[in-house]
Amino acid sequence: MPKNKFKRVLRNSCVTLGILAAATLLCALLRSFDSGSDYVSMIFILGVFLVARFTDGYLYGIVSSIAGVLLVNFVFTYPYFEFDFTLAGYPLTILCMLSVSLATSATMTQAKQSERIRIEAEREKTRSNLLRAVSHDLRTPLTSILGATSAVIENDDRLTSQQRIELLTGAQEDAQWLIRMVENLLAVTRIDGRGTAQIAKTCEAAEEIVANTVAKFKKRFPEVRFVARAPQELLIVPMDAVLIQQVLANLLENAVVHGGSTTRVEISLRREGNKAVFEVQDDGNGIDPDRLPHIFDGSLSSDTEGKAGDHKRNMGIGLSVCSTIIRAHGGELHARNLEGRGAAFSFTLKLAEEQT
Amino acid sequence: MTNKCTVLVVEDDTGIGNYIQTILTANGYNVLRAQGGTEAEMLITSHCPDLVILDLGLPDMDGIEIIRSVRSWSRMPIIVVSARTHEKDKVLALDLGADDYLVKPFGSAEMLARVRTALRHAASGVDVPPTGSFTTGELMVDYDKRHVYIAGEDAKLTQNEYKIVALLSRYAGRVLTYDYILKSIWGPNLSGDNQILRVNMANIRRKIEQNPADPQYIFTETGVGYRMAE
Repeated sequence: MPKNKFKRVLRNSCVTLGILAAATLLCALLRSFDSGSDYVSMIFILGVFLVARFTDGYLYGIVSSIAGVLLVNFVFTYPYFEFDFTLAGYPLTILCMLSVSLATSATMTQAKQSERIRIEAEREKTRSNLLRAVSHDLRTPLTSILGATSAVIENDDRLTSQQRIELLTGAQEDAQWLIRMVENLLAVTRIDGRGTAQIAKTCEAAEEIVANTVAKFKKRFPEVRFVARAPQELLIVPMDAVLIQQVLANLLENAVVHGGSTTRVEISLRREGNKAVFEVQDDGNGIDPDRLPHIFDGSLSSDTEGKAGDHKRNMGIGLSVCSTIIRAHGGELHARNLEGRGAAFSFTLKLAEEQT
Repeated sequence: MTNKCTVLVVEDDTGIGNYIQTILTANGYNVLRAQGGTEAEMLITSHCPDLVILDLGLPDMDGIEIIRSVRSWSRMPIIVVSARTHEKDKVLALDLGADDYLVKPFGSAEMLARVRTALRHAASGVDVPPTGSFTTGELMVDYDKRHVYIAGEDAKLTQNEYKIVALLSRYAGRVLTYDYILKSIWGPNLSGDNQILRVNMANIRRKIEQNPADPQYIFTETGVGYRMAE
């Protein structure tokens, strides 16, 4: 990317020139109060330090060290506006200033690099933790699929048709669980490395996103009543639609599967100021008050180990994916218990600008 | 159907290919298989199948190229198969003339429904301006009077709203991309913003759907377009 490189060089050069100019101006200003020159080299060393801090690589720090020494000599040392390296003791001063500023800039750059390495290592650690937890979660359903399908293949003549269907239904459910898990992981990789402000957002009609998710869940859980509500006004929300549908799907799944005895789920959409509020309410058993404060942390390992073989195990990851997605959109995600029965999860997203 | 329809399945993954073939054969279709783009193009020209199911991610060429080359000489229905997260591929394939798409993973019922719809549309031919009416559920589109009725009552759609509903009803069961609808209603010079379509659709839904947040007649295919119930 030569264009990007050019941009970076331009930015670094501007920073360098700006800081040097500021140092020169500051010295000139101070000079009008005090005709001494002791502070001049100090200020330039500070300037070099700042340059090293705010530019990439060693080059700019070194260049500004040399430029600083020359500037001090040229502007602020008698004879003014002339280079003169013959003053008694002056070469030593120059040498000192040059070595101090070079050392400063080198140290600074190195510190920045080790910081970057530390962050990288941290990210690597999170990633491998997630990978370990996920592979652990994937193994159980895969084992059961493998078992069920080989049972059918190897015992074809000994199984009744009902047994065969039972085995295959189990395999099918596990495969569906795997797909949902993988979709959550894909959602995370879609955000990962792109930072907060850089999700590919397009303007979407919020009610269409809600309608789509509800239609899918009506098919998947015909025994549960899903009610969708949207305001009269059309709410346009900039978002990554795939990701927000993933959030809604996770919240609906959570309401049905983890609500316990859920019979009715309501998904409502409303406007609050310049935000759209999406809310999922169920009439299930509610959230354990002890878990409520940590519900979006994705406490994967503690969830996984206690109940291996339990299909509810993936909700740790489902809700933490929700929280990651909503945070990346600059919105807020909340969970609370309703009075009486059930729980409510809600999240907010900013409306499109023309609507505010 | 005495004369079996022939479906060409272009899929590089053997497992998925087998699965599609089994379902189609069990439901009375003749199935041809191709694993790559070159083989597919050969089979398309030599056998002229009634329908092509095309995976976009092929090892030897981009599936999009096959759509382009087939569309240069034939209207045979093409259903593309793509991964969930590649919305752009789906839209591009549809805009190039693919008839419909399936997102992996898909169930057998969904696939058969798409195949039937595509074959029916191919048989009926859609170039003639429609006359008479179209009915689905309580919704009735009267092409002669240019009105839409819901449970016998005039839905009082505006001109453009009627045009959108009429267009979707002519291709009921098929997804129409935002771009296609915009160009058909507002002409080719509209800028690439589909906000105007969104607003119109919101108004239509408020007139014809009982609950716009849970529509029965016009469904959204997020990032792609709209589809009317059959």
